[in-house]
Amino acid sequence: MADLAPEDVSRLAASLSLPLTGDDAAEIAHRLNAFLDALAALDALPLEQVEPWPTRPEGIA
Amino acid sequence: MSPAGDDLAFAGAARQAALVREKRLSPVELVTTYLERIDRFDGRLRAFITVCRESALAEAARAEADAAKGAWRGPLHGIPFAVKDQVDTAGVLTTSGSALLRANVPSADSTVVERLKAAGAILLGKLNLTEFALGGTIRFPYGQPRNPWNPEHDPGGSSSGSGIAAAAALCSATLGEDTGGSVRSPASYCGAVGLRPTWGRVSRHGCFPAAWSMDQIGPLTRTVEDAALVLGIIAGYDVRDPLTSRSAVPDYRGALAGGAKGLRIGVVTELVDGADTQAEVRSAVRDAARGLAGLGASVEDISLPLIPFAGAVFMALCDSEAAGHHKRWLSERADEYDQGTRRRLVAAGLIPAAAIHRAARARALIREQVLAALAKYDLLLAPTSPHPAPAIASHTAPVTSKEDAAARFFGRRSYTTPASLAGVPAISVPCGFTAAGLPIGLQLIGRPLGESSVLAAAHTWEIAAGLSTRRPALTGSA
Repeated sequence: MADLAPEDVSRLAASLSLPLTGDDAAEIAHRLNAFLDALAALDALPLEQVEPWPTRPEGIA
Repeated sequence: MSPAGDDLAFAGAARQAALVREKRLSPVELVTTYLERIDRFDGRLRAFITVCRESALAEAARAEADAAKGAWRGPLHGIPFAVKDQVDTAGVLTTSGSALLRANVPSADSTVVERLKAAGAILLGKLNLTEFALGGTIRFPYGQPRNPWNPEHDPGGSSSGSGIAAAAALCSATLGEDTGGSVRSPASYCGAVGLRPTWGRVSRHGCFPAAWSMDQIGPLTRTVEDAALVLGIIAGYDVRDPLTSRSAVPDYRGALAGGAKGLRIGVVTELVDGADTQAEVRSAVRDAARGLAGLGASVEDISLPLIPFAGAVFMALCDSEAAGHHKRWLSERADEYDQGTRRRLVAAGLIPAAAIHRAARARALIREQVLAALAKYDLLLAPTSPHPAPAIASHTAPVTSKEDAAARFFGRRSYTTPASLAGVPAISVPCGFTAAGLPIGLQLIGRPLGESSVLAAAHTWEIAAGLSTRRPALTGSA
């Protein structure tokens, strides 16, 4: 997937009523692209083998 | 003879409590000692947002009068403590480190503060933190917190003031809150002891949330014994936090005598030998592993190959939870946020739901790998951080690329977040100093509700290493 540009971030943020000021869009684009790359890499893991519980209930070994 | 001056200030809470009980130490003298140190040093260090001077002195006088009558309130009778300003205190300003809450005065104490007061402790003040306990604050609205060992360096976060106050002896004991390392990181950078308890071991009632599925309050102190003492008071079921464990609270101080003998310890190679781990940190942590082996533990290397994913997985889950929590304020009061916080929350608010779901499943995989390792080993051992405290200026530089963002925000977090993602206890205890004189932290990770083993091993190591006697050379300039 191609990296998001600051203009993409500005449009997405506006559609969600999230505020941007000054040069926010450029830095947020770097942060968001880092997330998207890192989370795409998770596809290499056997994610379907587990349920996405945030924690393991107490008493379950 | 009772200690005085700096020796009194640096004596641990457990030692001070014993002296008060023996009527060899006055609570008024103890509170006054810390107020004088705050006056001398905190203009520079900025550990405190609020100092409860008058109420602390009044409480100390009451504690002294009660002691004279033999009326003991509990194991911390007359001992001054301070808490991260994320934790509610009745009638005392509670800002969560943000300008948005500059006038927030809760009407009731959080459960942890209520329990410490019931044990006889005296609230000395509220401690500085990164905004909303999220990390990455560029401009601190209540002053730039500074590392006691070198004020040009970061004290760690988000419980920055708790780490400073413990290391610089500005109070007897402190509380922080650890979502992804926020107790352990300042402990490591400041040369203090910081314990993240098992998720649900300590009530979070009255604590401003960072990420509900990982937030956990824990002690930041000068000694492991003090951490055990404080944990024993604040742990346990709370009807106001339905996610607290109903398991009985063990005698953590009593368990310290268990030492490290017979413990099986796995050294996490991805963290000790990882490319991000600086050589001085690797050397100190390897020395500590050998030291624990010499104290009777069985120590061997273990590989946990999912660990390098932990930082990004944690950030995606923590920040998306936080972005949801802050949505209304972000829309209506954006300019009151620090720039670093605002950018972090907005970026998280734009992560696609499918990607968050992948992170949630990856979290479960990481947790299962950590728990499988803890089925074989009593403890896992790693550096708390890949490096000592960085310069403050390194935090304020602009993010220049996605690679820069990944390195700055994901890399170091892979060291502390595995315990957070797995919900297990972990402690940071000093294990050395760099050539430049900055502390290095050793992290010990335990089984769910296994705080006793974590504390016992850390206590044994702390005594053998003898590092807790080193004190930062503080200067009084504002």
